[in-house]
Order: sequence, then C-alpha cells, then structure tokens
Amino acid sequence: MAMKVIALAGNPNVGKTTIFNALTGMHQHVGNWPGVTVEKKEGVFEYGGERFLVVDLPGTYSLTAHSIDELVARNFLLNGNPDVVVNVVDATSILRNLYLTMEIFEMGLKNIVIALNKIDLAEKKGIRIDVGKMSKVLGVPVVPLSAKKGEGLGELKEAIIRVAHGEVEENPIIPHYDPEVEREIEHISRVLEGTKLASKYPLRWLAIKLLQRDEEVIKLVERYLGKEGLESVMTHINEVEERYGKAMDLVIAGQKYEFIDGLTHEFMSYGQASGDVLADQLDRLLIHPVYGFIAMAIVFYGVFKFVFAFGLPLQNWLAEAFTLFGNWLAPHIANQALRGLIVDGIIGGVGMVLSFFPLVFLLFFALSFLEDFGYMARVAVLMEGILRKFGLPGKSIIPLILGLGCNVPAVMSTRTLDDEKDRLVTMFVNPFIPCSARLSVISFLSAIFFGKDSALVAASIYVLAFAVALGSAWLVSRFVSGESSPFVIELPEYLIPSGKSLLVHSWERSKEFVQKAGTVILLGAIFIWYLSNYPAPVGTGRSYAEQIGHFFEPYMRLMGLDWRAAVSLLFGIIAKENVISTLGVIYGSPEAIRDAMTPLQGYVLMAVTTLYIPCIATIGAIKAESNWKWAALTTAYMITVASIIGILIWHLGIALGW
Amino acid sequence: MDMIVPLSELKPGESAVVVDIAGGSGLRSRLYAMGVAPGVIIRVLEKYQFGPVVVEAGGTRLAVGKGMSAKILVRRL
Ligand SMILES: Nc1nc2c(ncn2[C@@H]2O[C@H](COP(=O)(O)OP(=O)(O)OP(=O)(O)O)[C@@H](O)[C@H]2O)c(=O)[nH]1
Ligand SMILES: [Mg+2]
Repeated sequence: MAMKVIALAGNPNVGKTTIFNALTGMHQHVGNWPGVTVEKKEGVFEYGGERFLVVDLPGTYSLTAHSIDELVARNFLLNGNPDVVVNVVDATSILRNLYLTMEIFEMGLKNIVIALNKIDLAEKKGIRIDVGKMSKVLGVPVVPLSAKKGEGLGELKEAIIRVAHGEVEENPIIPHYDPEVEREIEHISRVLEGTKLASKYPLRWLAIKLLQRDEEVIKLVERYLGKEGLESVMTHINEVEERYGKAMDLVIAGQKYEFIDGLTHEFMSYGQASGDVLADQLDRLLIHPVYGFIAMAIVFYGVFKFVFAFGLPLQNWLAEAFTLFGNWLAPHIANQALRGLIVDGIIGGVGMVLSFFPLVFLLFFALSFLEDFGYMARVAVLMEGILRKFGLPGKSIIPLILGLGCNVPAVMSTRTLDDEKDRLVTMFVNPFIPCSARLSVISFLSAIFFGKDSALVAASIYVLAFAVALGSAWLVSRFVSGESSPFVIELPEYLIPSGKSLLVHSWERSKEFVQKAGTVILLGAIFIWYLSNYPAPVGTGRSYAEQIGHFFEPYMRLMGLDWRAAVSLLFGIIAKENVISTLGVIYGSPEAIRDAMTPLQGYVLMAVTTLYIPCIATIGAIKAESNWKWAALTTAYMITVASIIGILIWHLGIALGW
Repeated sequence: MDMIVPLSELKPGESAVVVDIAGGSGLRSRLYAMGVAPGVIIRVLEKYQFGPVVVEAGGTRLAVGKGMSAKILVRRL
C-alpha cells in the first residue's frame, strides 16, 4: 500500500520546517526569516506502525504565486493530491495567516488539520485563543503547539492520523461576500458549469479567482473554454468593475479580511496589548540609515573576529597533530611509495584541509546565530536603498550572506525573489562571495604569509569579494531586461537562539566539509600525489603535475604565479579546498610555501582563488536554477574578472614595491 | 471627513485604515496576502527619509518599500 502523503503548508516563517523536523527526526534548515525553505522536502514519520510521507513546502502568503518558491507550494497543493494538509498557522498573526487558510478552504482541499504554532509567543503577547471554539468556527481540527519546545506534537500526530483515516467529519467554513459579489460569483459559476474545467476544480473557487484576475486561472479558462469563452467572461467582469467603480480583487480581498475578522472575534481576544518595546528599539537601531550600517559593520566584524580568534589556534593545533601523526606513522610503513602516498598525499593533503574545520564550524555557528536571531530580514531592509543602486533588490542580501556558508543553497535561495531579473543577477554574482571552503584557503594562505596581520589581510579579501560582487551586479543588471520588483518583507520576531539548536544547526551545515574531505578531497589528494610523483617526482621537470602546470604557466606569469599555482587552481575547480591540499602535496609543508613565494604572490593567489570560478556544485546549482547558458556565462565572467584582478594586484604591488 | 493620504505621508505612531491600493494587480495581490487590504488597520512603527516604512498589520511587522508605500492609500484614525 502506498504511503499516505501529508503536506505541511502555511505562511513563511510560521514553523513548518520545525514541525517537519520534529515529525521526521530530520534536520532540515530552520531559520528566522521568511523564505528559508525554497523547495519541497520529503521525509517519513511513523505512528502506531503506520508510515506516512511528510512533505515540507516552501512558505507562501497566498495561492497566487509571485515567486518560484511560492509556485512550488501552490503547485503541490493544487496538483499533488496530498491525503492530509497540515495548515500551519502562526498564533501571533492569525488574521493574516487565515487569509491563506481561507484560500485553501475555497479551493476545496480536503482533510485539513490546522497546526496553531508559536502558542508560547502568542501567550507572551497576551493573545487569548479558545482553540475548541476556533475549531468549531473553522470546521476543521485545530491543534495548538509550540513546535520549537516540542509541546503539542503528540496531539498533532494523533489529529493527523485521525484525519488520514477519515475519522473526522470536516466542514471547512467558506468566506461569504456582499450580495452583489455573491451574485457575480453565481453568474460566472453558471457560465463555467458543465465544462471540463468544472469537474477539476470547485466552481466557486474558479469564479472568485477569475473575478480577482488570477493569471493562472485565466490561463486555465482559456485552455478549456477557448479564447471566446474567456473573453465573454472577462467582458462581464469589466462591466461589473465599471459598475462598482473599483477593481474586484480589491473588493474581494477587503471583504475576505472582514469575514476573517468577524470569525476571529468568536474565538480570539487580545489582553493588554503590551507592545514589544525592546523589538521596536532594536528595529529602530538595526534599520536606521546611519546607526544601522554601523551596527552591521560591527556585527560582521564581530563574526570575523570570532571565527579567527577562536578558530586559528584550534587550526594550528590540529595541523600540528596531523604532522606529528604523519611523522610517527612514516617509519612504520616499509613500502616507500605507500609511505609517500599516506604521509605526504593523504595526511599532508587531507589533514591540512581538515585542520580548518574549526573555522568552518565557527563560521556556521555565527551565521546560524544571525539567522535565528532574526537579523537577516533587517539587513534586507537596511540594504534596500543601497543595493538598488547596484541593480539588486534588498532581499538579495540574504542569498549573499548565505553564500558565506555555501554558495549552493545560496543560489537556490534566490527563488524567493519576486522578479526574474533580480533572481538572475543575484545568482550570477553569488559565487564571488567566499564560501566556507574558500574561508579555509584564505585563512591558510594569510596565516602563512602574513602572520599576526593575517585576520586583517583575510578581511580585505572579503571586502574585495563583496565589492566585485556588487560591481558585477551593477554591470550585469544593465544587460538583463526586466523590471525590478517593489519591496515588501515581513520582519519576524526576534528570538534568542538556544545553544543546543545552534550547535546542531552548525554541525548539520559544517559536516559536509568533513564529508567532502573524506571523499572528493581525499581522491583529489591521492590523484595529485600521483601526478606529482610519476613518471618522476616533482623537481625533475618530468612529473605530470609539472607538465600540466607548465602548459598554463605563461598565463599565470601575467599575475606573478607559477605552474604550482596553476595546478592547484585547476584542482580547486572541483572543490576549493583542493587548492590547500595541492599546495600541501607539491610543497610538502607550509614553511616551504612561505620560502617559495613572496607575500604579494600569496595575496594574488588568495584573491584569484576567491574569485576565479564557481566550484562544480555551484555551477550545477546555477544551471538548475536558470539554464546552461547562464551557468556558462557566470563561469566565463568569473575567470575573466579573476584574471584582470590578479594581474592588476600583481602589477600594482610590484609598482608599489611590495 | 478625514482626508485620504498615501501611507508614505504618515508619521511613526499614527494608525490608519487602508482604503485603496493603486498599482498593478501583481503588487496588489502581494500586499493582500501579506495583510494589507482595504479595511485593515495598520500602524506606522518607523519611517526614514529614504528607506522603507515599517508598519504593523494583522499582527505582523512589514517593511514596505518607498515606492510601494506611496501607492497604499489610507484614512488616518
Ligand atoms: N517562539 C516560537 N518560535 C518557533 C516555534 N516554532 C518555530 N519557531 C521559530 O520560527 C522560526 C521559523 O521556523 P521554520 O521552521 O524555519 O519556519 P518555516 O515555516 O519552515 O519557514 P519558511 O521555510 O521560511 O517558510 C524559527 O526561528 C523557529 O525557531 C514555536 O513554537 N515558538
Ligand atoms: Mg521551512
């Protein structure tokens, strides 16, 4: 028997993924800003020996999709035939949340459970809800819960199961409008009656959507009724609007809220509205056109300081441990080739990469803190004005910040941008933002060449990368046609993240670094070791590595780099950490690298590694979110920009006598 | 009777009822779904010269871009 499908649907940031994780035991990304989940995620949950497939959907404010993530949710609800729909509702903003609920009811979806989440917050705000009454008024089961604290999940599971087994009689309430509007709904319903379309969707829903001029439904009607059928309906709607002197969508939306407001009075009351003074003050600071930027500079400086101050000593210690281990192991391996492979190739290459794990973990820890705290949406508001000048919407700062962790989810998160042009441009410049893999390369090289100034030098690479990303956005947005979307974003409640959830969250996101080290980087290190020892070892001029490197050397020399840099950059295309392991294998030790290159050369290598190409996974993500051409263009553009900047820094440095 | 003004005219602390939303239907339906529709009461929390207006509507805080806030017509309360 096929598993029953349970869909989690609701507004953004209401806690769908928190519930999903609690049901399935998985660790999908949870964050305190609208638009964390951008694709549907599936998991399994078991109850009483029965298995259910749970689908976590992206958040959506309505069933009229404005962006790709919303389209994913809408399409699943419309065509995915879920057995149970869990509509997650945020108890702190019931009025707005029920707008979507009413759309779901109007659309005729069956087997609905309302999960009334964030009850803890609602109580704190003095909102009183009579859940039993609410359930009666809405005509579907309502389960109160605080998913974050794990309260009420048992009850939710039971409700889901009862509904899935058809043990609950449901009678979802459907909004009613003024007699005039109802008359028009009736009229249009009669026109559509008996058509094929009417057997697929509820007549009333089709009629209301037509009155609201929903583009998707207009397309549906055209497909089933032909151009003439559509035209006669639309002419009628035009007449109605003329009579009203108002657009019907406006009338319907207003009356829908009026209806919802009437409902909520039956089961909800506000205690003393103790306005959130602290949140108001924080907002005033964080989005203030002057203080906001100062705060942002301090925040990101703090993140950087935190990562380096705690991460580098740990890194040193780990690197030391790996070296000691290699030295201890070497005499125990008799076979010379095998010893070289294990000690120089694997421990020297992979160990060196792994030693950077503390920095990566701390970076994700700091990012998770900002995400859970509720800072992301505030940065978007703060940056709106500035980013517009560079052809980007304020919201695109969120993918850029996510890129500091990993560019792959960052590219995907551009789905939340309403406008196609904004989305393409944001995606295009995202790979310039140094991800955690590049953090390891940047800190590796800056520690080698700049000693105690290393954090400052590393910071300059980040500034350079953001400047290049913004400059490129300015340039590219000139060539992509389309209109930028207007700006509106929800500002979530501030939350103090719990230490435990931060640790789990940071581990979930940084463990990939370890997994990569054990797979791609390991294979790469073995391969590089082979290339640099056969047919003859490096130094003889005959190793494969030298042969490959020498082919690119003339080009590299333009920016002051040699064949070794060429080989490491080549392998870095697969994963940027390979730059570290390649240098480790070819040179043998960080000291040898310091002896072979000048700090200027080190800096050029750092800048070029940061900017030169998206890694394979990011190219794949860009292709998946747009098309091959766009991914190829991004790649070509980055190679060009990195070359120009590398050459500029090198010649500028020489001229300045560095 | 009170005058109808765009949201961008309101000062922090003022409350108003939404009466109309100018602009394309895409923009309008975006706003309805986020809690800004005719009849809904909104309160301005913050406003800066060049930045977005921060309002409270339907229990949530929204930041509305400058261009958009000029298209939301309200009646002061
Ligand atoms: N106070 C409180 N916060 C909660 C509760 N459930 C979830 N949260 C927080 O709400 C925020 C959003 O949670 P998510 O699970 O990511 O929300 P979502 O609905 O999946 O959001 P999108 O993927 O953006 O649509 C996170 O910061 C959660 O920690 C709850 O019961 N109480
Ligand atoms: Mg989610």
